[in-house]
Amino acid sequence: MVWVNAIVQGLMLGGLFALFACGLSLLFGVVGVINLAHGDFAVLGAYVAVALLPSVHTNALWALLFVPPIFAVFGYGAQRTVLQRSLDTGPLTTLLVTFGLSVVIQNALLEGFSADSHSLSVGALATSAFHPAHGVVVPYLRLAILLTAVAVLGSVQLLLARTSVGRQIRAVADDPEAASVSGVSTRHITGIAAGIAFATVAVAGLAFGMYAQFAPTTGSTWLLYAFEAVIVGGLGSLWGTLAGGCVLGLAQTIGEQIAPTAGTLAVQLVFLAMLAVRPTGLFPARVAV
Amino acid sequence: MTGANPEETPDRSASDSPLISRRALLRGMGAGATLLGSSWALDACGLKKSSGSSGKKITIGFVTPLTGPLAGFSVGDNYIVDTVRKSSAFSKGIKSGGKTYSVDIIVKDSQSDPNRASQVAKDLIATNKVDMIVVTSTPEVTNPVASVCESQGVPCVATVVPWESWYFGRGAKAGTTFNYTTMFFFGLKEFGETFIPMWDRVPGDKKVAEMFPNDADGSAFRNGWPPLLQPKGYTGVDAGAYADGTTDYTAMISKFKSEQCDIYLNGPLPPDFNVFWKQAAQQGYKPKLATVAKVLLFPADVVALGDLVINIATDAWWAPTMPYKSSIDGTTAQQLADSFTQSTGKQWMQSLGSTYSLFEVAQNAFTSASDPHDHKDVADKLRTMNYTGMCGPLNFGGGPVPGVGIMKPVGVQWKKGAGKFPYDLQIVDNSANPSVKVNGDLLPTNA
Repeated sequence: MVWVNAIVQGLMLGGLFALFACGLSLLFGVVGVINLAHGDFAVLGAYVAVALLPSVHTNALWALLFVPPIFAVFGYGAQRTVLQRSLDTGPLTTLLVTFGLSVVIQNALLEGFSADSHSLSVGALATSAFHPAHGVVVPYLRLAILLTAVAVLGSVQLLLARTSVGRQIRAVADDPEAASVSGVSTRHITGIAAGIAFATVAVAGLAFGMYAQFAPTTGSTWLLYAFEAVIVGGLGSLWGTLAGGCVLGLAQTIGEQIAPTAGTLAVQLVFLAMLAVRPTGLFPARVAV
Repeated sequence: MTGANPEETPDRSASDSPLISRRALLRGMGAGATLLGSSWALDACGLKKSSGSSGKKITIGFVTPLTGPLAGFSVGDNYIVDTVRKSSAFSKGIKSGGKTYSVDIIVKDSQSDPNRASQVAKDLIATNKVDMIVVTSTPEVTNPVASVCESQGVPCVATVVPWESWYFGRGAKAGTTFNYTTMFFFGLKEFGETFIPMWDRVPGDKKVAEMFPNDADGSAFRNGWPPLLQPKGYTGVDAGAYADGTTDYTAMISKFKSEQCDIYLNGPLPPDFNVFWKQAAQQGYKPKLATVAKVLLFPADVVALGDLVINIATDAWWAPTMPYKSSIDGTTAQQLADSFTQSTGKQWMQSLGSTYSLFEVAQNAFTSASDPHDHKDVADKLRTMNYTGMCGPLNFGGGPVPGVGIMKPVGVQWKKGAGKFPYDLQIVDNSANPSVKVNGDLLPTNA
């Protein structure tokens, strides 16, 4: 039963990884920005909740109502100003710019919030669980995060595949010049894509803040997991990102069940094995998203 | 090196002009308006000195992790430095060998990074020509600084580091004596003296769940705890050397549950404990008594975890209710904590006392030395120092190894706060230090 439990926990942990990787996948796949400040933006989202919630004991689920919209607007603005300008100069510049943003965000958070660690309170949800079988525990919070990941990734996928805006986003991602000739306002559309990506980053940051605790420098550690989930899943595929997250989550918990030190190691080994055997990832995008 | 040599005068005054801009930087570090005021005064002082006779100034370097993952330790440090600077013993100058010396304290941020810590220590010695370096908070900060000081022959005092990590962590073998570096804190023996009496008061099966990570402190704990447990009839259940930053503790929790460990013991990084403890609650691991080390020492971590911290026990090396007072000006522990809360709005924390004592020790050593610039003499005074101050009696000559003063911690538990702050730290067991009054009841973490 410990193995079944390890698999259940691994899948749910994978949900958090996937949710975290969604914004990275989207911003890279559609806008072409490798966002090295991704983890820091997520932590920033959690800090926005800390700043705007009336007290530390307010249920942080309320923050899901206002932080993602704020981030969507912020993402649109960031794309139209900083990110697009750096993209125009070349791919290397975006790396430098987002790396710079990462440093700026970390230090601004240090100044504003000090190095104290915070956590988002979700009341009884944080500690309650149900037992579907003896020895198997399903904590409600983890289940909720997994379901949120599925919902977020699914609705973004639907939006890209089925709506007019989604079609324009895909067109711009495929060939900006052709899209622009066909009358698509490319800058506005990439701005919208960045806004969606940032909104998912905010959701991920809030989920992480409820799951663990965060400090201004937490984001950079999580960036690595997000990258790995995107690459294991296949660049440019959102369902692939979900699968990639779950594979990493399973590797972590099963690795730990084998030996307590092997959890993180197992994640990295799975990642390296994937790069060696199937460098395109589990679900390589047939058409660029 | 000593600065007493008149030939060094041009050197010192030349190095004074970059000093001023560096101080301007220090001001910018956000220590608040009061610090700003006092460093203005020091600037004026420094300018006057640079044109006058050299060597009439004592310079103390202070290395602390103001930023980075360890910054929780240093929340009160700027306040303490400010308080010490304003105290008459420091602002009117230190008398040493019949002369009065003005005092300059230079604060450097280690950024919680060992490489950075050793670099700022080298800077303090080479550029600022410091007469002593005091350093605090975990082996990641204290050890690199102490190593630089030992090799450069500059007196150094460290604190908030288990002495085993400070001593063996720098490659010392039994019998090794460090000439210039000293410290005061406690070690595993005192952890045992603090935790085991609390376990004894909670009836159970005497099985101890051990969560020790794969890092310096984790290894020290893994080797150090078993010899303390066995004579008292406890059995340890080691969950294995997990990696720092692990996000899932399912395997570990399953093991503690199946072994039915009534006591929980650890030594992790603070964020990891937060994740573990939430998952333990979700998955139904409820030890009768949790005694934690290295985490939940400071209010910030406690607030982050919420009500789950209630009745978790840990160690405290300093508390406002301890019957101690400053050797500099007689300020009591309670007064220090109150004025900290008053001027910063933050809850008192244990590192206020230890950081304060660093400067007491420095002042004592300089006062008793015949020449504050004679590093060997000052270091000799440090190694044999025996005094009572903000952290109680400290005897550097009578510790487990030379130059180590031992403090006696007490057992504390987090309780729901009665006043301004959400949680309070109450002293529930004074077996290791009976001079401190108990002010709370030891209750099981999970009844």
